[in-house]
Amino acid sequence: MDITLDTARDMISAAMGEAQRIGNACSIAIVDENGWLVAAERMEDALIPALDMARDKAWTAFAFKMPSSEIGRFGNPSAANAGFNTANWNDRLTTIGGGLPIKEGDSVVGGVGVSGGTIEEDVAVCEAAIRAMATPRPV
Amino acid sequence: MEEVPGLAIDRETAFDHEGHIKRITLGMARKMLEAAVRYSVEVVGFPCSIAVVDAAGAVIAVHRADGAPPGTVDIAIEKAWSAMVMGMPTLMLGRFIDPRVAATVPLGTHGIGIANRHRGRLCAIHGGIPIREVGTSLGLDVIGGIGTSGCPSADDDNTVSQAGFSALYD
Repeated sequence: MDITLDTARDMISAAMGEAQRIGNACSIAIVDENGWLVAAERMEDALIPALDMARDKAWTAFAFKMPSSEIGRFGNPSAANAGFNTANWNDRLTTIGGGLPIKEGDSVVGGVGVSGGTIEEDVAVCEAAIRAMATPRPV
Repeated sequence: MEEVPGLAIDRETAFDHEGHIKRITLGMARKMLEAAVRYSVEVVGFPCSIAVVDAAGAVIAVHRADGAPPGTVDIAIEKAWSAMVMGMPTLMLGRFIDPRVAATVPLGTHGIGIANRHRGRLCAIHGGIPIREVGTSLGLDVIGGIGTSGCPSADDDNTVSQAGFSALYD
């Protein structure tokens, strides 16, 4: 299933509902099956850089096909796969948690990034967005 | 308009006592984008990216219509930002840096100097318009900007932006 603008808007709405429930002002970004931004929105009173961070997280999660919080272990010298250097990468790469790939079966069809709270809270908001994608749109 | 769940517009801070808009909320931005995306797809016939920025120049929301080229997202943001920070449509900025126009106006060619200001972020392509509202200062306060990218003709981009701008007052 492609991520259309309508899908992305529904996902963002659901994510904002979850963010509101937690009590955070978040920015949420959705990227499509090629990593390109479909929609990004910033809630009332959310911090200004949060929108760009959410966008970076969504892209990172999409590109690496894993939660953006796991990217950090690439750069950890004590980890087995050390040697990952963010400075050699483009400026979209982030190691901050809060981005999740959107998967359908084994394939990655997009990414969602959230910025505005702690990593756990951001991930919970991401999951709310992904749940909304799985739910059929009410007619 | 589709309500974002649990996200109420704070009327106290969004409007002044005369009903003028003081700041653009996410709800307003969504309304504008929804109208502009529909206009671009159904009337103009080219899917576009549209961005709304607030008075801080920060993006409130950006939407890319299905089928719009991916590179249009950032150009839409730049147009909205440029219109906001300069307080004029990006059409005017384009006029400033056009040497053919500059040679004919009494002010001369100094406007050409705005090209590539703000670390190259200033965008002089037709299609971004500032959002102005009656404010406390003399004249009109710039409270934000809207920018569109994706139409082959920048005039059409501007029309889409204006469709979004009009929706703010629907």
